[in-house]
Amino acid sequence: MNKAPSIRQNARQDGLPNFRNLGTLLRILIISNGLALMQAILLANSWTGVAQHMMQINTLLTPVLFSSLLLLWVAQPWLNRIAYRRGMVAVTGLVVALTLSIYYFGGELYRPPDSADGYFDLMRCGLLSAVVCGILLLYFRLRSRVLSRALSDARLQVLRARIRPHFLFNTINAVLGIVRAQPKQAETALEDMADLFRMAMSDADDLVPLGREIQLSKQYLALEQMRMGDRLRVDWQIRDVSDDVLIPPLLLQPLLENAVYHGIEPLSQGGSINVALRRNGDQLHLVVENPCPVRADVPHQGNLVALRNIRERLDLLFDVEASYHVESGKDFYRVEIIFPYVSRVKERPLP
Amino acid sequence: MIDIELALRVFIVDDEPPARNRLRDLLNDCSEQLALEVVGEAGNGREALDKLAEIIADVVLLDIRMPQMDGIELAQHLNKLPKPPVVIFTTAYDAYAIKAFDLRVIDYLLKPIRLGRLFEALNRARLAVPVQTETLRELLPEPRKNLSIHERGKIHLIPIEQVLYLRAELKYITVRTAEREYLIEESLNALEKEFATRLVRIHRNSLIAKDAIAGFEKGGDEGESGWMVKLKGLDELLAISRRQQHIVREFSRS
Repeated sequence: MNKAPSIRQNARQDGLPNFRNLGTLLRILIISNGLALMQAILLANSWTGVAQHMMQINTLLTPVLFSSLLLLWVAQPWLNRIAYRRGMVAVTGLVVALTLSIYYFGGELYRPPDSADGYFDLMRCGLLSAVVCGILLLYFRLRSRVLSRALSDARLQVLRARIRPHFLFNTINAVLGIVRAQPKQAETALEDMADLFRMAMSDADDLVPLGREIQLSKQYLALEQMRMGDRLRVDWQIRDVSDDVLIPPLLLQPLLENAVYHGIEPLSQGGSINVALRRNGDQLHLVVENPCPVRADVPHQGNLVALRNIRERLDLLFDVEASYHVESGKDFYRVEIIFPYVSRVKERPLP
Repeated sequence: MIDIELALRVFIVDDEPPARNRLRDLLNDCSEQLALEVVGEAGNGREALDKLAEIIADVVLLDIRMPQMDGIELAQHLNKLPKPPVVIFTTAYDAYAIKAFDLRVIDYLLKPIRLGRLFEALNRARLAVPVQTETLRELLPEPRKNLSIHERGKIHLIPIEQVLYLRAELKYITVRTAEREYLIEESLNALEKEFATRLVRIHRNSLIAKDAIAGFEKGGDEGESGWMVKLKGLDELLAISRRQQHIVREFSRS
């Protein structure tokens, strides 16, 4: 099992950050301004001095930042295609060139009137921008390394949840229960089970088409329906969402599994799980709502593991662009997830 | 001595239809070597109690994880039957709880169930005695969801939410709901411990449901000049002993 290529320890190659992600942009702005602030503190000899230096640095830093981010935004598809090393050189080169030209064309604005050596000043700005750019790239590289380990951990956790004895043994037992009377259904059930396991062990890309996840979820639900009969009902509401939208793998299915295990199974009359998927501008809304037994005490613990796992993966993939909301009512449980509507395959989702 | 072997009467309880199917198939296979008869099946605890009031079973194959009333609670209620059946638990995953017990005390089958293992368990059941209620209590540290009484050949379940108060009287305990009274044979101390989150002791001989407290009144016809508690849906007042006066403060505020 350890050797299986599916659960690679180093699943992700180093890559440039996604310059079209809001989280990446915010991180760049915060870190570069933080570095500027440190420089201002070093140069100043009073608090008002710090503010003055900050303003002085920002007259150059802000235009450089915004123009670089704009150009990187435009260049994102091209940057995705080239190797990491070349990308790094290209990004640094772009930032330095922008700094130098803004400095050059800014004229009197940047050149201190008493400065004797204009050439030194120019070189200093170029060098500093290269250093800041390098620090940022290094930061993103380290971050994506840490995250990629967390991603493969997440996959392992999903796999472990899949081999939850409750699901595995009860399903096998149910298949054995119908194999004599309904051999055809038993065959389908075993095939569905194989698909579920394959997905959990798969070497899937960062994102998978929604249609595939929906199909997998329906296979999973068919297995549960075999055991529970009409106690389990599912209401799908899919609006304005195409099947090839990309979503993180094993996002919907574990949510449904939670809804079944903690919601429907303990109810003797069963109940209906509502799944809603809709597009709202460039966002995808996913809502899973299920009834659950009335409980006066604290919400069920079991849910938390799977939900935390999903939340972590969303953080890794979409940073601040994904949001996540859980409502635990007296007799219902509702999870709402909002994340970017990604329809192009080329785009690298990692920030 | 030649004995006409009586068929073993088996009853199946499982909430999943395919799991019941599986057991029926396997029991059918067993019947070639072992005289047995499937006398009925049920999809939940309540249905099982209703049916077993009319049908006599020697062995009950009982799923542990079921909605509303789990198998372990059901087994405790089954012990109130005039002739309690031998219980064999079936489970997919929570056997660790049962494993701690000797197989001679509690037998269990792991799902997916194997023919050989079922056969063995049924053979053992012929000689076995029903599991003691105390043993079952230990298995399930959670409080039961129902109290049960055996009345006119039938087991009545009293959902614990409906209980307003419990009062010890000589040999029995009176269980009061909004509709009527029942008598059970259990220990008040054990009940107090089991339902500590629901019930509170107001007197040496009585426990009341916290949710049912409607208010407190001063007075006392027993010369105790203490407090009396009024319960929702009941006219009678219950005396609070001097030692338990503190509950007046605790509950009148909320």
